[in-house]
Amino acid sequence: MGLTLSAIEAVAPDQGALQAASGLLKAAKWPLRARSASLIWGECQGSGANPYRVVADVEDQGTKCTCPSRKFPCKHALALMWMAVEDGAAFQTSDVPDWVNDWIRRRRKGAASAPLSAEGKSLEAAQQSLAEIAPDPEGEARRIAASQKRAEETRRSVRAATEDLDVWIADQLRTGLAGFLGAIGERCRRIAARLVDAKAGALASRIDEMPSRLLALPAEERIDAAIAELGKLALLTRAWRAAANDAEMRREVVTAESRDDVFANTESPRVVSLWEVLGERVATRRDGLVSQATWLMSLKETPQRFAALLDFFPASAGRRGAAFIAGERFNAELAFYPACAPLRAVIAARGEAIDGPGTWPEPAADPFAAYADSLLATPWRLEAPLLLPRGRICADASGRAWWRSDGGLCAPLREPPPALALGATIESAMGLWDGARLSLVAARTNWGRLSFNA
Amino acid sequence: MPDLASALAHIRSAWISGRSALEYCPPEWRGAVGGADAECALAALAGHATQALFRPAPTSPLVVRSLLPRLAAPTLPERLRPQARRLLLRASKTGALFERPLIELIAARGYAMHPADWTPSPRDDWAPDIYAPWLDWIRGEEKPSPPSLTLETYDQWSFAMRCAALIQLRASDPAVARVIIAAKASAAPAERRAKLIDILETGLCEEDREFLEGQTNDRSDRVQAMARAYLARLGRRVENEPLAAELAAMVEVRLLSRRRQLAVPELKIAAQNARRLELFKQVGLADLAHALGLAEEDIFESAPTGAPDGLGAFVHMVAATGRDRACRLLLDHILDDEAFPLQRAEPLGARLSIAERRALLPRILKRDDEMFQMGLALMGRALGEAPLSALIASPGYAALVSAVEAYRSEDPTQRFPAQATLETALLRVGLLADGPAAAELIQRLTAAGLFASDPKLDLLHLNAALTPETRS
Repeated sequence: MGLTLSAIEAVAPDQGALQAASGLLKAAKWPLRARSASLIWGECQGSGANPYRVVADVEDQGTKCTCPSRKFPCKHALALMWMAVEDGAAFQTSDVPDWVNDWIRRRRKGAASAPLSAEGKSLEAAQQSLAEIAPDPEGEARRIAASQKRAEETRRSVRAATEDLDVWIADQLRTGLAGFLGAIGERCRRIAARLVDAKAGALASRIDEMPSRLLALPAEERIDAAIAELGKLALLTRAWRAAANDAEMRREVVTAESRDDVFANTESPRVVSLWEVLGERVATRRDGLVSQATWLMSLKETPQRFAALLDFFPASAGRRGAAFIAGERFNAELAFYPACAPLRAVIAARGEAIDGPGTWPEPAADPFAAYADSLLATPWRLEAPLLLPRGRICADASGRAWWRSDGGLCAPLREPPPALALGATIESAMGLWDGARLSLVAARTNWGRLSFNA
Repeated sequence: MPDLASALAHIRSAWISGRSALEYCPPEWRGAVGGADAECALAALAGHATQALFRPAPTSPLVVRSLLPRLAAPTLPERLRPQARRLLLRASKTGALFERPLIELIAARGYAMHPADWTPSPRDDWAPDIYAPWLDWIRGEEKPSPPSLTLETYDQWSFAMRCAALIQLRASDPAVARVIIAAKASAAPAERRAKLIDILETGLCEEDREFLEGQTNDRSDRVQAMARAYLARLGRRVENEPLAAELAAMVEVRLLSRRRQLAVPELKIAAQNARRLELFKQVGLADLAHALGLAEEDIFESAPTGAPDGLGAFVHMVAATGRDRACRLLLDHILDDEAFPLQRAEPLGARLSIAERRALLPRILKRDDEMFQMGLALMGRALGEAPLSALIASPGYAALVSAVEAYRSEDPTQRFPAQATLETALLRVGLLADGPAAAELIQRLTAAGLFASDPKLDLLHLNAALTPETRS
């Protein structure tokens, strides 16, 4: 069966899915649409920082999407097929990417479920009903008032929680850091639970992760790291109390604003540039969420500008494929979450991918000086991206790996590097520095680009 | 800075033991540290100062490795690297044993893997010779190699590079290679001694006998066994007549169309069969022939017959102790004899030269009814050379096409087994086919219903793209 509008109506799970799909029929929501033979695929910008990846086989309407929807096919897949029928020219012919290949490997041709009846489902009705949603000013005003009331309650509750946290920090210092490190899991869990109750969820998550960060260090470095962590918390609580309505403070202490809020905020910095995907860091948190951070670097700005596309999803959903290919370059407009030193971002508009070699910005001779400067702007930040100058990866007597610049700057690596890194000249590298360890993400070497997986 | 470092050290000591650290607060900070949460403020400043002003320093000198050497062969073209990476990833995920043949196929086409995608592990002695510089580097033994390998320059070579040079030397000047190995092997550790003596297998000849005789008393069992096997291939008898006579009594030599045929019949008792298998491991071909009152070649006038495990043990014995000609004769007869189970011939593959493998390839594939498994086993490193005609004449090809059909079936009881079969068969055929054959197979298989971009076809795609033209 070829792809037709009636075929899409037939495979849609219900009219609601078609209606939701009709809201996605905008080119701006699809930074990528491509085809090869009977396959069409695309990336649809959903509510997360990383786009959903959607693929469909137009011959049998088999589909796959990375969104968490339980409907099958989901609205993204329906929208992709819908656009393929109505605006097929917008799909560029392209090589089949790895993630599409993975899907093909798991399915067989003609394996899509038998088409359902189109009865009771209509694309036309879906588009009409979307247009017919009438504005409701009174309802909107009620919603805004309720939201403001909730925000005020949250502020009061969080203020009390930050004061509690200050007392807790002082208690840890007063009762001895040796004892704190001996019972760090239990102590952090208890204060984190209190912070969750007080609606300071972001602060709670940070404290919940503190034990794993500190205990990953050698024993002799834990005290200094504990002082730094507690000190950062103290700074953060003071900063929040000084500017509780500030978007960055709210993000660090309560919760992050939504993607739409970032777009709506006129203070969100917008940067149009050529971006290179440096790599991805995926970590499973104690609260059962997986954080997926895709690191980008602007290739048009000196000093360098980094951006992190940050998403969270439940660990129970299994590991997601990487949203981008390391080394991929594309023109895009990024909207940054407002901050003293903006880093977290979402893609506002994505342009074409760029082939061919790109040049990284010139790194500072002493990237750690830039790090110290960045700490002045956001002293509570746990780690900061650095662009490192030319150097080598070395090993100390115990076998621990270090990055060392030609100028003699050095920093210990968090993870053991791949064998090649020890035998390559690191022309330039990007890593995340937390004051104690450097996590390399990507490097340019005499062997070409090198990814450091973590 | 020393004052600050000292103050921070005191603050740290105070907080470790749970004392107030305010008395150690540096004077410059006192304005910011006060009130009810003074300790918190001090922690903020102390933590910030520690992170901004101090970095962990190595407690021992940092050692920099030499740069990973460039290889003589070019690395895979960039556009083919993702496919090669996917294949290696699949091999590691599924535990499939095709990493080695994949690396060998790429090397056979004149390319090396990019080191970001694959480097040999220190124990990968099997790695093709082009990787010798990387093996030495991985083992931390890299040295600049002198222009030629002689007795005088021997110690200046790193091990893997030396082995690669010795293998070349053995092919061009066997006597010189033997003299070097004989002079230097005894000083090497057992594992490396065995590797050096293994090099003698190429072009094994009577002149090697004296050196090998000496190695039969080596302190390593492995070296002893290797030397004895090579001597047996040169016709040396172990003079263990009772065992040879016992084995001879367990086999028969029949006359079939005026040709002798060795029969290894099923014996009545399992213990007898087990004893015979044991004897095949202990007795050499020359001893068995002597005990049977035959010349070695008389045994190979036709393919042997009998119990499969007995036949397998006999083939193993011939592969381990038979002369090159005996091995070739035996394989020749096996390929002609439809009744002989081809999988039992696998040990003979290691005894074939590259030229012999190439010559036998069409006959091997024609007999291979195990989805190209035997073809792969017998071809060794002669990968990526099978023409389309030889592949489609193989029963394996018909089975492959059937597997594609079953894979497309609606019936899950057919589909799921077919998927695994298909993956394996496509990997094997992808390793065997030459470039044009790989391209044609992709056409045929996509016409049969596979996606052209199906990852199961990755190896065929890589193979087809790895033609010499790619290098230009």
